[in-house]
Amino acid sequence: MSRLSRHLDSFGAILLAIVWISPLLFAFWAAFHSTSDAVNFNLTSSLTLKNFQVAWDGAPWLRYFMNTFLLVTIVLIGQFIITTLAGFAFAQVSFPGKDFIFILVLLQLFILPEVLIVENYAMVSRLGLFDSLLGVGMPYMASAFGIFLMRQAFKSIPIELDEAARIEGCGWFGVLLKVYVPLAKPTYLAYALVSVSTHWNNFLWPLIVTNSDKTRPLTVGLSIFGAPENGVDISVISAATLMSVAPLLIAFLVFQRQFVQAFLRTGIK
Amino acid sequence: MRAQPFVVLDGIAKRWNGALGVQDISLTIEEGSFVALLGPSGCGKSTTLRLLAGLETPDEGQIIIDGADVTHRPASGRNLSMVFQSYALFPHLSVAENVMFGMKVRRVPKAERLEKLRRAMEITGLLGFEDRKPNELSGGQRQRVALARAIVAGQRLCLMDEPLSNLDAKLRHAVRKDIKNLQKDLGITVVYVTHDQTEAMSMADKVVLMRDGEIQQVGTPEQLYNQPENTFVAEFVGAPPMALIEGHALSGFSDVPTIGVRAENIALAEAGQGDLQCQVSDCEFLGAETFIGLEHPQAQGLTLKVAGLKNIPAGQVIDITLARETLLSFDKEGRKISASPQK
Repeated sequence: MSRLSRHLDSFGAILLAIVWISPLLFAFWAAFHSTSDAVNFNLTSSLTLKNFQVAWDGAPWLRYFMNTFLLVTIVLIGQFIITTLAGFAFAQVSFPGKDFIFILVLLQLFILPEVLIVENYAMVSRLGLFDSLLGVGMPYMASAFGIFLMRQAFKSIPIELDEAARIEGCGWFGVLLKVYVPLAKPTYLAYALVSVSTHWNNFLWPLIVTNSDKTRPLTVGLSIFGAPENGVDISVISAATLMSVAPLLIAFLVFQRQFVQAFLRTGIK
Repeated sequence: MRAQPFVVLDGIAKRWNGALGVQDISLTIEEGSFVALLGPSGCGKSTTLRLLAGLETPDEGQIIIDGADVTHRPASGRNLSMVFQSYALFPHLSVAENVMFGMKVRRVPKAERLEKLRRAMEITGLLGFEDRKPNELSGGQRQRVALARAIVAGQRLCLMDEPLSNLDAKLRHAVRKDIKNLQKDLGITVVYVTHDQTEAMSMADKVVLMRDGEIQQVGTPEQLYNQPENTFVAEFVGAPPMALIEGHALSGFSDVPTIGVRAENIALAEAGQGDLQCQVSDCEFLGAETFIGLEHPQAQGLTLKVAGLKNIPAGQVIDITLARETLLSFDKEGRKISASPQK
């Protein structure tokens, strides 16, 4: 009985994995074949790289890659600074109203970012950051999830280490920089993975707030490239999609083990 | 004559949400002395040390270190070092980086830093371990790293919070001597918190015995042992502790509520010739001597020391005599009565 259920578990897992990965597999299939071969699933058809060439020439991809790369970097740096300081304040500094403010921050987790799009749009325009990478990244910098994560990480660090550093002459900022941050490294790593993959794939907000190729990230560029008014060529779109996800996909395959361990260590699921 | 002692605690009190932490702590510490804060757990000795370190702020009173009022100065500005019970070594730093941590923070030039590191490693016998991480060291080695970190910067005041409690008994004895020698050689002032009276008695120049957030007695180990201020001190200090006997159980002491007597002043007597008749409860063989626990309805903690191995079956009735001139008298509240009644 237990053996049967174990096999059932494995079977279910494999089935889910196949369902999950099939779009990606199809994209792979389509990208390397001509459109008619791709949709007919002609298994004997020859492979071609022509789709990539067409796709590459069809849009300023290098620019998009650069924009996405800069965007995730800006967001990550902003998040690290803000979540570190806020997490430290919530973990180790006592100030009036701390619990209440922390609950307010946590409430932010319940609000879908899409709900705030109009308000964020107005705010970004007021700040004069419309159609700039900083404008795209700004709304995500004070991440409630990140603050919560950092607070938990800092709270788990033994208070004696904090005290020892203070005795050795550190002020609060020195303690934060020399004790808390290095000891929370696994948490930073895990959080960076989540943040980078989220913002690499983010679409709706960048679509709204960017207006030119100068600032468009990959996702937006890809959607414009694949929009119906440009004519739908499934193979070329697949090729473009593969190019967009390639850096993350390769990074994931290379660092698979570290990814999983980082998540296990910090308990993010 | 020194104008002012090195460290002064004056009327210090600290409460936790209204509950009492410590109160009325007044203490002076001379430069270069070894002071032990002794007491059972929860007596406030660690709190006192943390107040001194600047990790807590007192609600009342004043703390003066080296002539400067540091009552409200943060820990980083007090120029002292500390050894924690858990050692508090930074796990992400190597031994050398741990030891040099404070010097780096205080921007000591690199050459000087390395020179001091080498000396500290030499003193603590850690040469060759500089590049290890704390989790690659044994408990005893970690303890020495913590010591090295405390002495390397040359601070004149070093606080130690039960630094030996995580070591095994044999190592503890060895490190005890090392710490004492180190303190003497470097001429630093050490304030040492412990719940182990043997540690306090063997190392300290001055012992501060605390209970329930208050100081019970301050004195040399010899004073605490021979002239305890009250019955708590008498029962806490010494192994075995002082036995307390109700006065009316002894002829000639009926007007004294409590009599205290040390085990070495109790002797076996011929049957019917002794001061007290007791029942043997257990025998504890310690090698050179045997402690024989005695029971008497009007006494507690009676122990007879006998040289060598001696096995008296439990329940046997024996007579003991007390060396009369050594007896101490305590009043009803347990305080010492200054003059011994028969002297």
